[in-house]
This record gives sequence, C-alpha cells and structure tokens, in this order.
Amino acid sequence: MNAPDRYERFVVPEGTKKVAYERDTKIINAASFTIEREDHTVGNVLRMQLHRDPNVLFAGYKLPHPLQYKIIVRIHTSSQSSPMQAYNQSINDLDKELNYLKAGFEVWNSGVFIFFMMMVTLT
Amino acid sequence: MESTTSYQRFPKIKIREMKDDYLKFELHSTDTSVANALRRIMLAEVPTIAIDLVEIEANSSVLNDEFIAHRLGLIPLTSTRAMEMRFSRDCDACDGDGQCEYCSVEFHLSVRCDQDQTLDVTSADLISSDPSVMAVDVAARSTSSGYDASDNKGIIIVKLRRGQELRLRAIARKGIGKDHAKWSPAATVTFMYEPDIHINEDLMETLTLEDKKNWVESSPTKVFDIDPNTQHVVVVDAEAYTYDDEVIKKAEAMGKPGLVEIYAKEDSFIFTVESTGAVKASQLVLNAIEILKQKLDAVRLSEDTVEADDQFGELNAHMRGG
Ligand SMILES: [Zn+2]
Repeated sequence: MNAPDRYERFVVPEGTKKVAYERDTKIINAASFTIEREDHTVGNVLRMQLHRDPNVLFAGYKLPHPLQYKIIVRIHTSSQSSPMQAYNQSINDLDKELNYLKAGFEVWNSGVFIFFMMMVTLT
Repeated sequence: MESTTSYQRFPKIKIREMKDDYLKFELHSTDTSVANALRRIMLAEVPTIAIDLVEIEANSSVLNDEFIAHRLGLIPLTSTRAMEMRFSRDCDACDGDGQCEYCSVEFHLSVRCDQDQTLDVTSADLISSDPSVMAVDVAARSTSSGYDASDNKGIIIVKLRRGQELRLRAIARKGIGKDHAKWSPAATVTFMYEPDIHINEDLMETLTLEDKKNWVESSPTKVFDIDPNTQHVVVVDAEAYTYDDEVIKKAEAMGKPGLVEIYAKEDSFIFTVESTGAVKASQLVLNAIEILKQKLDAVRLSEDTVEADDQFGELNAHMRGG
C-alpha cells in the first residue's frame, strides 16, 4: 500500500540535479560528484576509466545505501589537472571507446560474419 | 585547460556464433568494468515492450483476473520498435496517460469455448493493433528463421472448458528490466575471462603415464588430454576451465607444484547472450552499447555547475592574490 513507485529507482525527481558537484573544503584538487539515479553500472565504469588518467591520484565511487538511488564519485587529482577535468575526460574517453566498439560490432553484424561463415562451410 | 591527451581504449570484437536468439562473441582490449556494464545493461536497461495494463471485459475461466493479467505481462513481445518508442511517463502526446500510439500498443483477446474438449487460450489469440508488435512465438511462425515453429502451439495463457469465456483489452508499454523483469530482453547474459594455460613441459615429462592420466582426470571439466602418439599432456579446451584450481591442487598433492600455471586474461572476455526473442541477440548488444552511451551522456556536468565552479576558482584566486 505504501510501497514507493518502482520508477523511483531510475527517474530523477523534479527539481533535483542529475549530477551535483562539491569541492573538498580541505584538500585542493579533490571533489565529490553526486550522481542521482545511477548505480554500479556507471559508477564502476567511471572509476576504472579515471584510474587510466595518470593525473588522478584517487578515484572511487560508493553506493551509500541500496534504497538511496544515487552514487558518489570522489576524485583527487594532481595540480596538473582538476577533478572536473578528469571527470569530463573520462566520460569523453568512454564515449569514444563505445563508438569504436559499436562500429566494430556493426561491421561483424553486416556482411563480414556471413562471409566468414561461408568461408568456414566451404573449407 | 582543455587537454588533448586521451586515455581511450580500442576494444576488438570477434563473433563466434550468431543466431536470432543466441550470440557468442569475444571482447578484447577493454576493462572488466565495461564488460560488466554491458552485461548489467542487457539484463536490466535495454527497453522492450510488454503488456502493462489489462482491462478484463469477461472472465469465467478458472484463473482470477489479476493472475491472467500477470501472465499476459510475462509474454515476450517483438520489441524492435522499443528503442524509438516513448516511455508513457514522459509522453506528452497523451499526457502520461499511456494510451497513445507513441507510447503504447493495444491488444484484444476474445475467446469462448463451445466444445467438449478443453480449449487453450494462447499468445496466438492476442490481436495486436500494431503488426510489428506481437508475441515472439507468433512472430517466429511467420518467419522461417529462429527456432522450429512446427510444434509451436503458442504460449498458454489459460485453459477453458465448455461455456467459459475470456474477453479483454490490454495495453503494452515500453519499459526496462529494472522496473519489472517482464521487460528484460535477456534470458541470460554471461561473460568469462579467457584462460591462459601454461604447462611446464619439463616437469610434466618427469611424470609417469599413469600419473599424467590421474592428473588429467583431476579436472572436473575436460580441459587437458593425453596425445595418444606422443603421450604428451595437451590443452584440448582451455575455455572448459572453470577456475576451480583442482589441477593446481592435484599437482601440489603429487609433489609437483608449478606443473601448470593458469591465468585469467583480464582484458579478454567471452560473452554468451541469450535473448527472450523480444530483440535479436546481436541487436541486444548494440542497444546495450547505445544505452551505456546515453547514460554516460546524462551524467555530464551541466553548464551551470561548471560556471559556478569557475566563479569559485576566480574567487579563490582573488583571495589568494590579496
Ligand atoms: Zn503516449
């Protein structure tokens, strides 16, 4: 009867920001990004991409509570970069990776696979 | 501050087997996090169409109304349209009512039993308002591809005896598996690390044939075998290895530690994708890539957040400056 709506797990409530950015008050070049209505799918993929950036000294994410549908990504960078720059870069790099993957998959999906299978059956 | 360096990866794909509802492929040169994100999205975030609202006009069957509504919801429907369709909750054409052509598909069902023999009400009795959206088993009958349709009697919804009747109107909507499993397009999605097996040949040759046989037998799956000609131990199926460590323990128990070394290649994955039939397995993977792209795009920082931080930076510089 008083169960919350199922869509609350993935629909950002009105008036709430998808991503909230908060600088660390004590450490320079450290910040937290609170991402609403996301989980391990995005959190882990961002964290691992951030680890590829040599200017990132620390990158981690947490899902504070299974019933709070948000994640917190924390980034600490060297003075060569900034958390915001590293965050943007990681998204851009992942986007490019997925474009590359998609193109590679579409090649297989169109003619190449059929050609490949024909070669297999012929030989 | 715009940097030109990139830490992008260039993943490679190799398809091993492709059927309408089954796909096996290799994914190379990427991270576990990407492989797992794709798996999670295929299971819970690639949209499909499923019956979501049922208005029962007449039901004298043995199953109650909500039982039938639930069974209808679980019937997989052909959902190639789903990626372009709107979610009812953000459809402005019907104000979230979820009854318009942009966000819904209407079905009708009307069956009455007038015979002594039990009558099956099946997915084939569902009449769709959109020819591109119908029960997957019914769609498979009209197209020759896919599984064998000859013994396909349809998905049974309920059985009727003489005099019983079922009449209803159903609305199918776009949704995702995260909302309810009935919208999940995937039956199973798994990936494994590609194993890298190194046999220490010199140490292996110190074993008698009997010992070799015992060692080969210690693996619960058939990974190794003995070449009948050379009597050498060979890897016959590396991917059959389940990372159970049995052969490693056996080697130690035989006093031959280091007989074999097995690593998981951490950037190579072997995926198996099984679809419910709602979308083709290959399309499911492509949709998952697209959804992940959309999700990442949605978590980009908004313009005002960046501006607010820039002002903060100026303020900071000002304070430091004097
Ligand atoms: Zn609508």
